[in-house]
Amino acid sequence: MPTSLIILIIIVLILALMYNSLVAKKNQVENIFASVDTNLKKRYDLIPNLVASVKQYMQHEKSLLEEVTKLRAEANRPNLSDGEKISLDAKVTSALGSIMVAVENYPELKANENVMHLQHTLHEVEEQISAARRAYNQAVTDYNNAIEMVPTNFMASLMNYRRKEVFEIVESERKNVDVKELFS
Amino acid sequence: MKSVSELTDFYYKSLYPTLEKLEKDRKNLSHRIIIVGIFLTVIAGVAAYSLQGFYEFVLFATIALGGIAYKFLVHDYTHEFKMSVIKPLVHAIDSSLVYASNTHVSDYYFENSRLFEKPDKLSGNDYVKGQIEGINIQFSDLHAQKKNQNSKGKDTWSTIFQGLFVVADFNKHFSGETIVLPDTAQSTFGDIIGHWLQSNNMARDELIKMDDPAFEKEFVIYSTDQVEARYILSHALMKKLLDFKHKSAHPVSISFVGAHIYMAISYNKDLFEPSIFRSLLDYKVAMEYVKTLHLAISIVEELKLNQKLWSKR
Repeated sequence: MPTSLIILIIIVLILALMYNSLVAKKNQVENIFASVDTNLKKRYDLIPNLVASVKQYMQHEKSLLEEVTKLRAEANRPNLSDGEKISLDAKVTSALGSIMVAVENYPELKANENVMHLQHTLHEVEEQISAARRAYNQAVTDYNNAIEMVPTNFMASLMNYRRKEVFEIVESERKNVDVKELFS
Repeated sequence: MKSVSELTDFYYKSLYPTLEKLEKDRKNLSHRIIIVGIFLTVIAGVAAYSLQGFYEFVLFATIALGGIAYKFLVHDYTHEFKMSVIKPLVHAIDSSLVYASNTHVSDYYFENSRLFEKPDKLSGNDYVKGQIEGINIQFSDLHAQKKNQNSKGKDTWSTIFQGLFVVADFNKHFSGETIVLPDTAQSTFGDIIGHWLQSNNMARDELIKMDDPAFEKEFVIYSTDQVEARYILSHALMKKLLDFKHKSAHPVSISFVGAHIYMAISYNKDLFEPSIFRSLLDYKVAMEYVKTLHLAISIVEELKLNQKLWSKR
């Protein structure tokens, strides 16, 4: 076999490997985003219940409750892009966080079993969302690295792959819960 | 739960009369061992001289005989030591704990942990079982071995794992398997080659890259599920595991399989055995018993396994 043919075969093989690894990375991102999405949905499903349970007590936070309801309606619209979902998630996280802080000011709510149960469920869903977000960010980082680094970046630009955005991890999530602070 | 210093106090104060008695036994025993040792060596020398050859055989026979004699000599002392020192120590940490000197964590748990390959022989002792703050925990000394055949067709045994093996309930629900192993490849071969080797490990599941650089440096993580691995290994837990690893000062492997957390701490020696040639009152000797026991039982508190999520209550 002539040497040129061998070289050609090797080049084709390398190109195929590069192509496959890029596709695998893109699919990994999509795959994990699906699980982020499921968890986000779980949380959106909790919102109407939560709003209904706390509405009559929380007169001062009416605008906050309305905002959450509005955000949920927005999130339920079809054909949202991944980027829009990511930015909606950030807003919902902070709005729900404020509601949960506000609940602390209402002894009636803290004594309400339904609200407490919702709060714990929400907490658990948040943990799952946080895990899914972290997994997504890692997958996106791998993907972004591949499309920007030599040699796969040439292939990626031919395949028209674009950078994807990551979730901003909320700083409070990184901190450990300070039990002392909760009781003071 | 009692702290290490409280336990050290307990060791030197409450156990002092027992230790004094044991210390006498120990001295007698060490004298006897030395005498038997000298006796055997002399016999071996005479045998080798009169046979004028067969040196390998004589050496082998002497070592085997010495081993049997040693086991026979220390047997009673070991039992006495475990019952009057290790058992009270375990009870001092938590009175509800059960201690059995002759059994070990079952093969089922060892294999189920997915941390090591299936052993051909699993032995161990010093089994402790009980509940700490409502969390089931059990641990023991374990020695897992694999049978190999060398080129001459002879069986040889190699160690897969030797050390402390702990099983406890985990506080979160999960369905897959997540395994955390000491990162040997990346520290030996460097980041790029090490990482490549790890991601091509056929025996393991998907490689997970964690977003905690310090944790990632010490450990390599494999899991059946990218998201679940991060659900289990939250930032807080990663930090705690890292602290635990530094505290234990030995290689630690951790796995999360079927509602349990498994931890294997490799000491590469039999633990909780009485010292024979060093005094039991020696601070270092005492600290080793106390620290090792405390380390295993403190897992519940250190990793906050008692803070269960709502759905697990």
